[in-house]
Amino acid sequence: METEDRRKFLKGMAVAVTAPVLSGGVPLRTLVADSTPKKQTPEYPGWQDLVRRSCEWDRRTRGAHLVGCTGGCPHWVYSRGGVVLRDEPSGDLPVLDGLPNPNPRGCAKGSCGIDYMYGPYRVKYPLIRAGERGEGRWRRASWDEALHLIASRIVDTIAQHGPDTISVFSPMPSVAPVSYAGGHRFAHLIGAHTHTFFDWYGDHAAGQTQTLGVQGDVAETADWSNAQLIILWGANPVQTRIPDCHYLTEAALNGTRIVTITPDYSSSAAKSDLWLHPRPGTDAALALALAWVIVTEGRYNTAFVAEQTDLPLLIRNDTNRFLREADLAENGAENRFFVYDEKTAGPVPVRGCWADHPGDGLAEGSFYFGRNTLNFPDGILDLHDVQPALSGQFRVRLKDGSSVSVSPVFELLRSHLADYTPGKVSGVTGIPAATLISLARELAETHPATIITGAGINHWYHSDILFRALHLLMALTGNTGQHGGGVNHYVGQWKPTASAGINALSFPHGLGKHRFAQTTIWTYVHAEAKDGMDKTDVPRYLRESLDNGHMPLYPRGGRSPRIFICYRGNYLNQSKGQGDVLHRLWPKLDLIVNLNIRMDTTALYSDVVLPSAHWYEKTDLNFTEEHSCIHMTEPAVAPMFEARSDWQIFLSLAQKVEQIAKERNLQSWQDDEFGWHREFDRLYAEMTDNGRLTDDEDAAQFILDRAPETAGITIDMLRREGPQRLHSNWTSPMEQGVPYTPFRYFTHNKKPWPTLTGRQQFYLDHPVFLELGQGLPSYRPPLDLDRFPLRFNTPHSRHAVHSTFKDNDMMLRLQRGGPVLEMSPVDGRARGLSDNDWIELWNDHGRIVCRVKLRRGEPAGRVTMHHAPELYQDLIQGGSQSVCPIRITPTHLVGDYGHLVFHPNYYGPGGSQRDVRVDVRRYTGPIPTGL
Amino acid sequence: MTKTVRRQLAFVIDLNKCIGCQSCTIACKRLWTNKPSMDAVYWINVESVPSEGYPRGWASRGGGFRNGRLAPGREPTAEEYGLPFELDYSRRLFTGKHGRSRPRPVPGWAPNWEEEQGQGLYPNSYFFYLPRMCNHCDNPACAVACDVGAIRKRPEDGLVLLDIDRCDGKRSCVAACPYAKAFFDPTTGKANKCHGCFPRLEKGLAPACAGQCTGRAIHVGFLDDRTSSVYRLVCEWNVGLPLMDSFGTLPNVFYIPPFLGPALEASNGQASTNPRISPRYLESLFGPKVHSVLARLQEERTKRQTNQPSELMEILIGREAHTLLGGFRASE
Repeated sequence: METEDRRKFLKGMAVAVTAPVLSGGVPLRTLVADSTPKKQTPEYPGWQDLVRRSCEWDRRTRGAHLVGCTGGCPHWVYSRGGVVLRDEPSGDLPVLDGLPNPNPRGCAKGSCGIDYMYGPYRVKYPLIRAGERGEGRWRRASWDEALHLIASRIVDTIAQHGPDTISVFSPMPSVAPVSYAGGHRFAHLIGAHTHTFFDWYGDHAAGQTQTLGVQGDVAETADWSNAQLIILWGANPVQTRIPDCHYLTEAALNGTRIVTITPDYSSSAAKSDLWLHPRPGTDAALALALAWVIVTEGRYNTAFVAEQTDLPLLIRNDTNRFLREADLAENGAENRFFVYDEKTAGPVPVRGCWADHPGDGLAEGSFYFGRNTLNFPDGILDLHDVQPALSGQFRVRLKDGSSVSVSPVFELLRSHLADYTPGKVSGVTGIPAATLISLARELAETHPATIITGAGINHWYHSDILFRALHLLMALTGNTGQHGGGVNHYVGQWKPTASAGINALSFPHGLGKHRFAQTTIWTYVHAEAKDGMDKTDVPRYLRESLDNGHMPLYPRGGRSPRIFICYRGNYLNQSKGQGDVLHRLWPKLDLIVNLNIRMDTTALYSDVVLPSAHWYEKTDLNFTEEHSCIHMTEPAVAPMFEARSDWQIFLSLAQKVEQIAKERNLQSWQDDEFGWHREFDRLYAEMTDNGRLTDDEDAAQFILDRAPETAGITIDMLRREGPQRLHSNWTSPMEQGVPYTPFRYFTHNKKPWPTLTGRQQFYLDHPVFLELGQGLPSYRPPLDLDRFPLRFNTPHSRHAVHSTFKDNDMMLRLQRGGPVLEMSPVDGRARGLSDNDWIELWNDHGRIVCRVKLRRGEPAGRVTMHHAPELYQDLIQGGSQSVCPIRITPTHLVGDYGHLVFHPNYYGPGGSQRDVRVDVRRYTGPIPTGL
Repeated sequence: MTKTVRRQLAFVIDLNKCIGCQSCTIACKRLWTNKPSMDAVYWINVESVPSEGYPRGWASRGGGFRNGRLAPGREPTAEEYGLPFELDYSRRLFTGKHGRSRPRPVPGWAPNWEEEQGQGLYPNSYFFYLPRMCNHCDNPACAVACDVGAIRKRPEDGLVLLDIDRCDGKRSCVAACPYAKAFFDPTTGKANKCHGCFPRLEKGLAPACAGQCTGRAIHVGFLDDRTSSVYRLVCEWNVGLPLMDSFGTLPNVFYIPPFLGPALEASNGQASTNPRISPRYLESLFGPKVHSVLARLQEERTKRQTNQPSELMEILIGREAHTLLGGFRASE
């Protein structure tokens, strides 16, 4: 019966290809066709039984949606006769003490994921390009032929150009660590370079790294319940944190005040007590005005500021640099800093700064911190009897006998903030001074208070300044590290909590022997990106950063990448500078390979596309930062058509490379960069750890076993018992029944922060920061290099996860069938536009032709397009990224300052796309009939 | 009709917790109306209001009762339901056909067309989300209008069920339901409507819309179950209001009206104390009682803001899933 159902079903699939009418919901259709009794008129219960039968299944399996989503929503997947029919949230996330039930956790999009198994987008067989790139003409190939082609090119490229000209891109280990590890392990073993993504996507909060020395860490969203005041600052959780949003509305019902700061009357503004709509891009000024009120009115938490931040540290008034031990004594440490102790009336060194190490050992390096300070004993930050001065000028005697004037950073901050009085900032932001003052007082008086933020502000060119200012507010008010408090930046699901396990599987010879490209720079350089910044200092800063090795670029020595293997990410579609990438980077690539469940834009513009198993056809794990549980997905059915899991694809590719390397006498390759004699004739054995990792489930268990966060958890437990709470976490202990809030090892255990000063660091005395006037965070207006009247805003969408689900029929029917530009009716009227007109939008970088939607909540002077529609969707020209150039922020290029060093996804230039300006007019050209 | 019903299943939809995510819409659609002939059918949909809604202009096409008698109603047209977009991806992506995959028919209307467009002028515009489903009315116009008795109220739970086998396809129910929640499937020649997920209820599961409501905005339960939040909200606290009860069908879906949200902004740019959502508009949806209900909700929230307990807010928060879902489980 099972095979018969499946055969009928697959027959239906064949029809679907020629008759796309069927794309939406094949499963039930098939059932109805199969099981509806015809011609009979049974009694009343008869039809009821029929309805009952249509929601009965013969198999239930664990499922997760392995897309670029932060949701981490554990699901049940129901199938019958070998056909997956439905999924729903599994409802077994553990409840935290006294907090609202975390279940059900899911959304509309997730429930449409099944369409990627059965819909017309599915890649079914290995395909080799038969037309131009992007044309969509393919020749079906056997696995052997496709792998042979790829492996031969890899071997030849290694022999002729070196392995570092091979590039593998796959983002976000957290959502599917086994799949992620497949390509990274392969790249690691052959010597290819892989990519950062968190920064490139604009999701990495560089300002958080600058201030805290961490890659980024957030509270799980259940912790919102503990806040008394929630400020949604450039975040729109109602649209973009759908499964978490109940914590927000439930907190509001529980009395928590909600304030939304965003230029448009957003979905989340509509749920708030107060909505502030600053002019776009002026948020940093707004934050600094709040800081002015808190500082000037003395509403700050003195104890927290003195112990946890660099604000009491002394700065030399002659050089504007920190007073260092090296200034005071021969053999003094460069990275030991001082406060002025009011009790003893003299400078006293603070403990836990970069020069200090735990016990006799050295502080370890760390991938996600400036350095690992967690092995310091507790209590290092404790001030004991020291009473650091927060204001005043003092004189200290230097080692050469001269004396200089020094002041605490706080003194400098106080005078710095004089530029940000509510009166002045009101003029910048458009928000009344009285509102700024009352919000600042509310923030200072309400504990705990949290700032929930995201891409709305993090995608600005100067986002780092803003994040430093937000952290300043949370530090002044003592909210950092408190349950229900702190800056919580929910963009991207980067945090792969069990990183030790994921890294062990992905980089078996160690992170130090892996080539990581910084993707923003990689794309900028290889696509010869046009950013309109030639006349600025940015090219110089970039050149210096690369020349000094502060930021990496592969391949080195001015060579170009030759082979690009992309999977689990829609690199081309999401690329800023998309035109540059297509026209100047793409032609440099001899071979573009894509592994995919669906024919997305990047796959469409590739040379070889390999069919990848859907999330419900393979075993993998799934992490999120929004809750503290790990869960899994497993095959509900075997991979359909000729699909294979990513892990299996890279195993077979390794096998093929080994075979061809032997045939072509490239048994090994001496890699001088790492002193590594790469043995290609042992590639498969290394890939599988001598046969121990041939199965996806073994690879998943390998990850769990090797990370302290998950050690002791088994795949079988995840399958039988459901999601398992992590045992430990990055910057705070896991407490039974209590939501995870980051940074408590620093704020409560008083271990040093992983920054240069060992404290939350608001003053950065690196020459680049000082040159740019960013020693303390200083507001900079949006870049505005494009001389066009409208700001272009490209936020995340309710109806898609980046490009995934953008093309889903069922979701599109709940929108307008395709991408639209949202515009204020005021701007629309000025341009003679009516709702649903075709418009063209342009600047110097590109052009988009799409439809317009007039939305009353959109401010005049700004237009919005939900980002990253696929290039084959209903636009006449372009996509959201067509008009967004790649622009590099100089402060992100610093790589020689304590905690400011390049680690992949920890520090490096981000991708900004908020500073883009455009114009819009009615489109009067031809409207092609299309397909 | 009420007398024959032993128990009544009811729903309370909290518009303060509804985030317009369409999880309920899709949960229902994928389970029950996922076939080509029903592509335009949404047993539950979420519309941003004020708007014409789904089907377009549903509230002004008649139906229901006037003076105790069926009022004439007009069946929505295919255009008012929204002609479902079809997209030909396979030719573009796999056969080298040039151009873009365009939705057919050319987009001009769809069930969520007016998403977040709302009313008012920036910065004082407003909108909110309104999920709409079959009200499983005490006095269902669809059932009264059906000549062949195909629509009945099930005694054990008060669900208004449509017997496909008895249905003669005359569509009088479609015209009669003032909420436009009875539909017609031309390929089967039968009407169809929400059946409250009775097969799930029988397994102890909440209806899919409520079970998958990730905003936890949909309460479900029996109106005589004093432990269910439905009972407590509707019968004890009197804060659940039916939608447009002037239609006279006595709905069993109740709404907590929206009271969260910013006040209107005064001309000096500061927040005023005037409500942003037009009270008159709310009254048009939920009747004159809405004003006292809003006041009561606000009063209870204020208690929480001053650290006093509020039973009402606790019920709405619904920390325990089983009270929110009236003892039903969310998933299998």
